[in-house]
Amino acid sequence: MTSIGTGYDLANSIFSPDGRNFQVEYAVKAVENGSTSIGIRCKDGVVLAAEKVITSKLLKQGANKRIATVDRHLGIVYSGMIPDGRHFVDRARDEARGWRDNYKTPISTKDLAGRMGGYMQAYTLYQSVRPFGITAIIGGYDSELETPVDGEVGSGPSVGAGGKVEGKKHGGPFLYMVEPSGLYWGYYGAATGKGRQAAKAELEKLDLSGDGESTGLTLEEAVKEAARIIYVAHDDNKDREFELEMTWISGADGPTKGRHLEVPETLRKEAEKYAERMTAKDVEDEEETKEGGDKMEE
Amino acid sequence: MFRNNYDNDSVTFSPQGRIFQVEYAAEAVKQGSVVVGIASKTHAVLVAIKRNAEELSSYQKKLFPIDEHVGIAIAGLTSDARVLSNFMKQQCLGHRLTYGRNMPVRTLVDMIGSKAQINTQHYGKRPYGVGLLVAGVDDHGPHLFEFQPSGMTEEMVAFAIGARSQMARTYLEKNLDAFADCGREELIRHGLKALKESLVQDRELTIDNTSVAIVGVEKQEDGTTKPQPFKVYDGQDVSAWIESVADNAEAAPATAEGEGMDVDS
Amino acid sequence: MDHRPQAWGRPRDDVYGAYDHSYLQNSGPRQATQAPIVTGTSVIAIKYKNGVVMAADNLASYGSLARFPDVKRLRVFLDSSVIGFSGDVSDMQFLDRHLTELSIDEAYEDPSSDSKAGQLNAANLHKYLQKLLYKRRNDFDPLWNQLLIAGFDGDSKPYLASVDLRGTSFTSPSLATGFGSALAQPIMRRYAATEEDAAKLSREEAVEVIKECMKVLYYRDARSLDRYSIAVVTKEGVELKEDEQLEKQSWAFAEQIKGYGTQTV
Repeated sequence: MTSIGTGYDLANSIFSPDGRNFQVEYAVKAVENGSTSIGIRCKDGVVLAAEKVITSKLLKQGANKRIATVDRHLGIVYSGMIPDGRHFVDRARDEARGWRDNYKTPISTKDLAGRMGGYMQAYTLYQSVRPFGITAIIGGYDSELETPVDGEVGSGPSVGAGGKVEGKKHGGPFLYMVEPSGLYWGYYGAATGKGRQAAKAELEKLDLSGDGESTGLTLEEAVKEAARIIYVAHDDNKDREFELEMTWISGADGPTKGRHLEVPETLRKEAEKYAERMTAKDVEDEEETKEGGDKMEE
Repeated sequence: MFRNNYDNDSVTFSPQGRIFQVEYAAEAVKQGSVVVGIASKTHAVLVAIKRNAEELSSYQKKLFPIDEHVGIAIAGLTSDARVLSNFMKQQCLGHRLTYGRNMPVRTLVDMIGSKAQINTQHYGKRPYGVGLLVAGVDDHGPHLFEFQPSGMTEEMVAFAIGARSQMARTYLEKNLDAFADCGREELIRHGLKALKESLVQDRELTIDNTSVAIVGVEKQEDGTTKPQPFKVYDGQDVSAWIESVADNAEAAPATAEGEGMDVDS
Repeated sequence: MDHRPQAWGRPRDDVYGAYDHSYLQNSGPRQATQAPIVTGTSVIAIKYKNGVVMAADNLASYGSLARFPDVKRLRVFLDSSVIGFSGDVSDMQFLDRHLTELSIDEAYEDPSSDSKAGQLNAANLHKYLQKLLYKRRNDFDPLWNQLLIAGFDGDSKPYLASVDLRGTSFTSPSLATGFGSALAQPIMRRYAATEEDAAKLSREEAVEVIKECMKVLYYRDARSLDRYSIAVVTKEGVELKEDEQLEKQSWAFAEQIKGYGTQTV
């Protein structure tokens, strides 16, 4: 850390001579120490998953949720400082409500990501605050249907497409990741926290970029892969037990009917079994290759 | 004066991504005397060791009712706890006024969590120097939450905070599986036994230094449940419980208590 | 002639005399809603053994004009309560949006549980709406509605209550707003004058009474329609039908009515 002792890293919003804001970089360190979170966008929905390291036996099992719902169709998972994440979610809910107040319609995933990116960035601008110690993954499914505006209570005369361009695809599953700097991008698969490197490597192997209906992962497959990736990412610190939390969002015709919901227990258990089986197999394979003496590159 | 340059305020990250001011605030919790909380399927109890500044002074209260269905145990700066306690009382009252129901416990705990988090992100503020155990009941049954100065709140089966609380936590971990099916008397005894683990050598539980509080749900005859209001017991009211966990009273029968203290079935 | 821009579009002073600006002044008391504009007529509801039945027609009137014949005035809240709106339709839409936000907030509390435990019930919702409408009345900016709220209370008993634009609230085994309080209420009271009577009614009987009342309302209320919505609230949830047609109408009685229009006798 060349920055230490130079004095440029002692306050937020200060540029160092080479143009860096060290306090933001330190905030990223807080994220990198946090437990792993991932998000997968597939053709018919989004899956969010979190590794919850069990810090005490006395914690009530399954009671402390790490993935939060925003409005009805959006979910947020975060890594880093949990209370900061809670604040972030509170703000996201305020934004979603404000959007509804203004526009009488649910906020889109993209717009929420934009608003929250702006909010995070504002906390890098002033010496009077510190940046957020979290990276957040925002998943959502924007409705593809012709939906009424909020408060619509009947039908008037039909007046065509309601402002939507005919033939163009509207809505669908979306995934964004917001960093402490306020930077955000859209993703097919996103990972953050301690196990992000391993998780990213696994995400890259999945067929996620296909937009076609026939190609790419289905939502159920994505749930299983998400479980597996959390298990793989956890591998490095095996000694600590963890709980897996998963949520998903499908379109109106899918299993969640456009809502952000917790993955049902039966499916989660199934996914966990799959994850355990696959990670055990990986270990075996590794040992085999070691014995065989040939090198594997990845 | 300072340990390093990064621990002057709560808006500066250390190069490792830590906020020392928040960590120091967590130390303040350990300065307070120990409090223990346990939740079963029907009740949540809080027990605490009270301290007195000198022989002739009174003992500092540790357990506070918030609303009919919630109460807290505190460890750390009492005046900070009072701020949070007043806030919680107001929120519960407001909720009761607008909706005509008890405020859900998690909602209440999340509110103080958010309030405390703000203090860790803005210059000129300091984190609260107090930890809480929040015990309450709502439509989902009894709950026990831990609140930390960082704004972290977590639901626990049982927990202890304050000076030497690690020993109490070890006791709780050992007996973890027993709590769910405990009646109120059994739960209180577990709490007091955990408390005893954390006592300094030669110190004992007395009616002056021990507080007990309990909240629960009672099954009505028609199958519905009704909250059993949060109530704090001090002084003579706790003597029977203390005796029942005395070292020489291990084999005491469970029904030895006074009026209104029957064991739940 | 005055060609300056500020005179554009104004009556010519030389023709009409100087413009009297006092008409444009907005001094004097601030005025908010003074009367409803587009309105819905009666909402009626009756309790029965296992729940509540509620109905309202699908008409929104603009004065005496039947302006919108497809307006749904019953709204489901969290799949456990129904709210029926009479009075101003735009205020109903405002309340509808407000309740959407309330139900979104409510879902945040307990994302994982499918049970209704811990969610706002009809009694909580009624209390909330009463506070809201009473506040608006005290701001001299009332929401011009009378609402019926049906569902279950904290003891899982059928619940039915009313609140109006002044915040007045009451509860009864059967309730009706507007004309319904004169035309439908006496009929409903024949079947459910007391809570005990209502507890004896079957679902089929309650639906039949409501349908009969809707018919009488259509006969005698000139601001009503023969297409209507009907909701049945049970512990399992809400069954809402929004496009029902009044059946078995008989206008024979109309022959006997004298004293209107072109009649000379």
